[in-house]
Amino acid sequence: MGEVSLETAAYAKIILHAAKYPHCAVNGVLLADATKIRDGAKNQDLDIVDTIPLFHHSHYLSPMAEIALTQIETVAQADNRVIAGYYAACENFKDNTVEKCPGQKIAEKIAEHFPSAVFIVVDNKRMMQHLDTPAIKLHKYSDGRWKLKDANKVMFQTPYVLETVSHLLQRGVQKDLVDFDNYLDDLSQDWTNLGIEKLIASINASNTIDCKEDDKLFR
Amino acid sequence: MSYNFEELTYSEAKDLLRQWRENNERRSEDVMELWTTVLSDDLSKLGNEKHLVLEQVIYAALDCHSYGVATMCIYILSNEFPGSMRVMRHKAALLEAEEKYDEALEVLDSIIKADETNSAARKRRVAILKAQGLISEAIKELVDYLKKFMSDVEAWQELCSLYLQVQEYSRAAFCAEELILHQPHNHLMHQRLADIRYTMGGVENMELAKTYYCQALKLNPENMRALLGLFLVTNNLLNHYKSAGNSSKRKEVWKLCQWAQSSAARRQRAARALPPTPDLSQMMLALAITD
Repeated sequence: MGEVSLETAAYAKIILHAAKYPHCAVNGVLLADATKIRDGAKNQDLDIVDTIPLFHHSHYLSPMAEIALTQIETVAQADNRVIAGYYAACENFKDNTVEKCPGQKIAEKIAEHFPSAVFIVVDNKRMMQHLDTPAIKLHKYSDGRWKLKDANKVMFQTPYVLETVSHLLQRGVQKDLVDFDNYLDDLSQDWTNLGIEKLIASINASNTIDCKEDDKLFR
Repeated sequence: MSYNFEELTYSEAKDLLRQWRENNERRSEDVMELWTTVLSDDLSKLGNEKHLVLEQVIYAALDCHSYGVATMCIYILSNEFPGSMRVMRHKAALLEAEEKYDEALEVLDSIIKADETNSAARKRRVAILKAQGLISEAIKELVDYLKKFMSDVEAWQELCSLYLQVQEYSRAAFCAEELILHQPHNHLMHQRLADIRYTMGGVENMELAKTYYCQALKLNPENMRALLGLFLVTNNLLNHYKSAGNSSKRKEVWKLCQWAQSSAARRQRAARALPPTPDLSQMMLALAITD
């Protein structure tokens, strides 16, 4: 019980956001499917279906974060999703812990509303163009602090996630990722990143076809 | 925007680099790509821009961890300008990128010893402390620096963000005020101070934030962050005046709030002509206080 799994698109956006701004700290929120969540249950499975990249500068100022979070909440509710966690990557290459991340207040606030919240820290040292590990650290909220989960236990919904995201990184898709800061600079930008989601869906579709063909070969 | 670097001619590549240099765009990966595909074959064709381009490539190479390229460019420069402080500084930057901080500090100190007014070298010292994660030491060093070079806007900006990082909001606000004194017509400075005041909270700060957001909007009506900030701040004040029973101030803030809300919604609608973005006015409704 209490497993956390990630959709490809959700994971991809975290990595792409960190890759788009290698010289900045970045943060964002995680959205989970509300229909699968039972109210009040403490140690439940969590399926992170989407992430919203938030900021890459002015992390320590609250007004825009308030705007972003209220806006995300309205959108999430309409899609029957809940804000279930927070992710961040540190500015300094060597910092890979929750304590060094910006916006811990936001994360705590999320945990207040959603007790089984997760906090994902991007592991800067494992980030590379050919991902051989997920390069993230999962933390679960329990007893008022963030407890690190076993690094090998990052679970994905679909196969070939690392390959897919590595492929996106090599093609430079991070340049097309839009975070909330980009949106505030130019309102016509789409911070839900539908384009990237569609791209990933099409890669996933071709992956499953390949899988089926592999299966046939084995038979 | 992406370029097909292999199809660019030499002069086009040169123009692109100049454009990025002048606009202060970092684009390190693109610079490196241009350098390897087009420019590095024949340096003499760069003409009088040669040294500027070399410097640009050095920093791009350090960003991309191509220390070989950086070393080569520094070598070319130091052959042409032996004993130049500016080239020394690039050497220090290379050491810094390789995390040889002590050696980098030695080089920087020797530069400062030879030329006390070399502000760039002094600022690099701050950067090294920051890279090591020693934020409070970096702040100390930067404060020292600002005592000597008071009109360095960049440094005030950095000090402001360092103070924010350690949650010293009132000191950060002081830096932001200093920035406004230096650049009174820059709307971003006003917006920054308003953001800080809003984050600090309390009625007095909210009123200050309101004023600075208004000034930012006066200087640049396109500043969306200031518009949304004004909406938040007026909402907040409205709540306060309601309970305090201050009706004249309440009326004024109410008007301002309405204005911010409607102009934000209008701008959103104008932008939404393109792709379907989530509805801002709905968010506003969720936040707004029904009066």
